[in-house]
Amino acid sequence: MKQARPGPVQYVVLALLAVAFLYPIWWALSSSLKPAAEIITSPLSVGGPTLDNYRAMFADVPIGTGFVNTALVLAVKGAMTMVFCPLAGYAFAKYTFPGKNALFGVVMLTLMLPTLVLIIPLLLEMSALGWVNTYQALILPGSVDAFSIFWMRQVIAAIPDELLDAGRVDGASEFGVFARVVIPVIRPGLAALAVLTTMNIYNDFVWPVVAVNDTAHQTVQVVLSTLAQNVTGNRVGADFATVWGELLAAGSIAMLPLLVIFILLQRHFISGILAGSVKG
Amino acid sequence: MTSLTATTAGRAATGSRRLPRLSPYLFIAPFFAVFAAFGVYPLVYALRLSFTRWRGAGEATWVGVGNYVYLLTNPDFWASLGNSAVMWLLIVPVQVIAGLGAAVLLANARLRLRGLFRVAFIAPFVTPLVAMAQVWIVVFDEDYGLVNHVLGLVGLPAVSWLTSTAWAKPTLALLFLWKTTGFAIIILLAGLQAVPGAVYEAASIDGASRWRQFWSLTVPLVRRSIAFLVVVQTLAVFQMFAEPYVVTEGGPYGSTTTAGLYLYDHISASDLGTGAANSFLLVLLVFGLSLGAVRLLRPKEEVS
Repeated sequence: MKQARPGPVQYVVLALLAVAFLYPIWWALSSSLKPAAEIITSPLSVGGPTLDNYRAMFADVPIGTGFVNTALVLAVKGAMTMVFCPLAGYAFAKYTFPGKNALFGVVMLTLMLPTLVLIIPLLLEMSALGWVNTYQALILPGSVDAFSIFWMRQVIAAIPDELLDAGRVDGASEFGVFARVVIPVIRPGLAALAVLTTMNIYNDFVWPVVAVNDTAHQTVQVVLSTLAQNVTGNRVGADFATVWGELLAAGSIAMLPLLVIFILLQRHFISGILAGSVKG
Repeated sequence: MTSLTATTAGRAATGSRRLPRLSPYLFIAPFFAVFAAFGVYPLVYALRLSFTRWRGAGEATWVGVGNYVYLLTNPDFWASLGNSAVMWLLIVPVQVIAGLGAAVLLANARLRLRGLFRVAFIAPFVTPLVAMAQVWIVVFDEDYGLVNHVLGLVGLPAVSWLTSTAWAKPTLALLFLWKTTGFAIIILLAGLQAVPGAVYEAASIDGASRWRQFWSLTVPLVRRSIAFLVVVQTLAVFQMFAEPYVVTEGGPYGSTTTAGLYLYDHISASDLGTGAANSFLLVLLVFGLSLGAVRLLRPKEEVS
């Protein structure tokens, strides 16, 4: 016996839900292309298109620098995650060694550590090291994270041992087996890890906003938040509309890269999201 | 299970011959190096700091449990926990119920356009929180915002979404819900799809109505997914920071000063000893809540 064919009511409910989820994104993108004054006078219309808001925003805040900084952090921190987490996952999945269970226990414990608890001491550590307003402050903390290790361990555990032994027989070193046998086999898992890591680093806000307070090192998200603070202080006349226009332009340009990646690679995104819940 | 132990034993045997003893330690070393430098060290430091009064410069004075006592007897501390608790109530039950409803609709194998719906639901989860928080500022503005504009069109009065103590919390909760319910749907959908169709067949033969099937079959079987979701979202709600930081700055009248934002306020005030103590109180609370949620939602008899 089959499940009942979904009726029109189900489609209507799902469609309404989809509109509710997509409309704010669409509204922000389309409004950012309207003349600033119209965002306030006729918020429902589609006007323009004009790039005035973007021009004003680029002139006003260092968002270009923000993108460069985010790209740099993404490249280095992302690379560290992509190399060291599968490597550690491999060790935990395929080796037996004294202390393994205890060490893996430590990894799992750190999973439950709320990020907030580390913010203050990390900030103090950074200032003791003279690392406030540096790239290493943005990159190093959290660069080899427990969740990715746990996830990669699950993925690598599924590889048959015979495959690894065959690599050893061919005379590969221990690292060689990892690089030449494990990595190619887990490529789908690595793709999902890459996509999720990109999202997390790109959207990260709490630590960057604490660790960096000069414009030269601000990431995109931090630049965005400085713009938002202009709004509360500025509520008069034409300037007000201009700030809104800039705000929507900045928000739009910040969300576009990830939306594009998501639409192109949604399968990897979904398996990435699900990876965490496998062993709830 | 037995095959697993057998192969690991075999691995140890082949391994000892080829001297892999050092390799696994080298492979996990980067994690432990980073964790020691930017996890253990600051944690120990923070624990010591939480027993001192220190304003970011000069000598730290030992105050014993003074900071903890100060916080636990401070109405602002409790107010921040209260604000987070209200947020939790506005978010988690709504998300579990709505997410489950949407997941059940999506799980129907004969649904068309499923891929399209899924993309629409997850898109908010992908957008940067700060960017959307800004959109919220604009959309829910009392004087010029989109929402009040629409209310005006249908003849309803304007609402002070972000500037009244009554509405600020629900408006921020809505941002959180909008952004993360797609995540909840995906988690619950995966749980549902793991339920074998045969279970439903048996139930239909028994003549159980669809509503009954949902309550007595579906919900218990996705209990694990629900538990996972509740734990993750409880952690997230009690650490909520960026939403009030960007949208309301904790106001009006502190009504959106969540536990996470209150913690940050100590940093801005350079009151770092109190901040450290606050961190540990928050960690204890979050651990307790997660454990409680796991206990409460644990299946009575483990379904395997």
